Amino acid sequence: MPNTEPVHQFETHPKPIRPYGERAFLLENLNWSKRRRMVRAVEREPLPQFEEAVMGHDNLLLIFRHPVPEALVVRWLEQLAGQEADGHVQARTVEVPVRYDGIDLEAVARETGLGVRGVIDLHVRGEYWVRTMGFAPGFPYLDGLDPRLHLDRRASPRDRIEPGSVAIGGPHAGIYPVASPGGWHLLGRTELRLFRPERARGECGQPSGIFALAPGDRVRFIEV
Amino acid sequence: MGVLEILKIGMGLSLQDRGRPGWRRFGVPPGGAMDAYAAAWANALLNNSPDAPVLELVLQGAQLKFLRDSWIALAGADPGCGIAAWTAEPVRAGRVLTFRGGRAGIWTYLAVPGGFAAERWMGSASVDARNGLGEVLRPGDRLSAVAVGPAFGTDRVARRLVPGKACRDYAHPPVLELLKGPQFERFDRAAAQLLAGATWTVSPRSDRTGFRLDGPALPVPPSIPSEPVLPGSFQIPGNGQPIVTMRDGPTVGGYAKIAIVTESGLDWLCQCQPGQQLRLQWAD
Repeated sequence: MPNTEPVHQFETHPKPIRPYGERAFLLENLNWSKRRRMVRAVEREPLPQFEEAVMGHDNLLLIFRHPVPEALVVRWLEQLAGQEADGHVQARTVEVPVRYDGIDLEAVARETGLGVRGVIDLHVRGEYWVRTMGFAPGFPYLDGLDPRLHLDRRASPRDRIEPGSVAIGGPHAGIYPVASPGGWHLLGRTELRLFRPERARGECGQPSGIFALAPGDRVRFIEV
Repeated sequence: MGVLEILKIGMGLSLQDRGRPGWRRFGVPPGGAMDAYAAAWANALLNNSPDAPVLELVLQGAQLKFLRDSWIALAGADPGCGIAAWTAEPVRAGRVLTFRGGRAGIWTYLAVPGGFAAERWMGSASVDARNGLGEVLRPGDRLSAVAVGPAFGTDRVARRLVPGKACRDYAHPPVLELLKGPQFERFDRAAAQLLAGATWTVSPRSDRTGFRLDGPALPVPPSIPSEPVLPGSFQIPGNGQPIVTMRDGPTVGGYAKIAIVTESGLDWLCQCQPGQQLRLQWAD
């Protein structure tokens, strides 16, 4: 699995577990494979009150429909712990075509001293994976950005960034799926639609039809 | 035939239900009625399912025309339309309701028998316009009710009322209860005391994604790796002024969260108008 993330040893079963609000628990210091295996385990044998699991950077939030005693959740996770080891899922690779004409490209080239060509080459060459999704529907936080492109976010965020904008911010690369404010540096844009809300009509569509990416996917940028 | 036609949108009007949990991992906010308590009462007044879509009206300016006789229920902010909040009663075909708003509250809920007929997007009729989910309503749109009449005998019933103690006066919110947020320990003791001790003013920069509170600047710890965020969370950005995440807010965030207001408190908080003051206390 993605090897860009430092692997934390995680011996004792999920400690710390923290209540968050009245009906959720946050599990911290979980590496990617642990997060993924736990999500699969809790969904295979959910408690009746279970609502959903949400992955963060190195944590996992378990949300219930109603308040649930912490002890019950701990016991549930302990029972699942033995079953987490099985199964290895091959990550998909999604190719994202990019036209590198972003309005911040020259500024990034200057700030990094890499030149425009150098910035594009480093961005294209990266081997990325979706560490988590959030901020907006379908927005991927991509790990794997070359450290020479790690820049602080813009001091003043823009009010509107167009959908399809390919951007970098801090240690991450990302793509804006919907029009939104944002403080990342815009390198280019893609025609690939990351979020297709019109396909979300109906009771519950398949996520794969609605979102181009899912947590854990590998991503490769292709210059066009 | 529809039950009503939208003549004016006013400051905002959208269909809402209990939202679309289950999609946060892809970054989709749970959404749903801002004041879940009031929306639930609007449905309960007509014996509707708690999942039935209701109209959520913002402050003032909306205008609706009824196309046929129908029962309706109103709950939440004072609508200023001739029918009081926390009431269900019949309205005649041709009647026009103009929502002038009141002295307190932001969100008014209007229910019709069986709920409004609406397509579900990811299992929910809730509109999240920013993200392109649900059907945005425009002047001239007609809405249909799922049922002709309420699921109770209306023969000798002039109106139905929410019991007095259950009605809310949003001009006088209680002191809202806070639970420790996931990063509570990273904040100074002084920050926790200041949060509970100060008077906070709701900022005009507040909407369905977040409410900002103005008050004393809290000491700010470093930002955190992004982690899932729940509605009601008190995120503390660099200026020390809390941003309370609301139902259409981002599903992950990198600001430390000192607290989360109780779910019942969130229903009160979202009804506080810009400029209104509120007070907070730590639970237990």
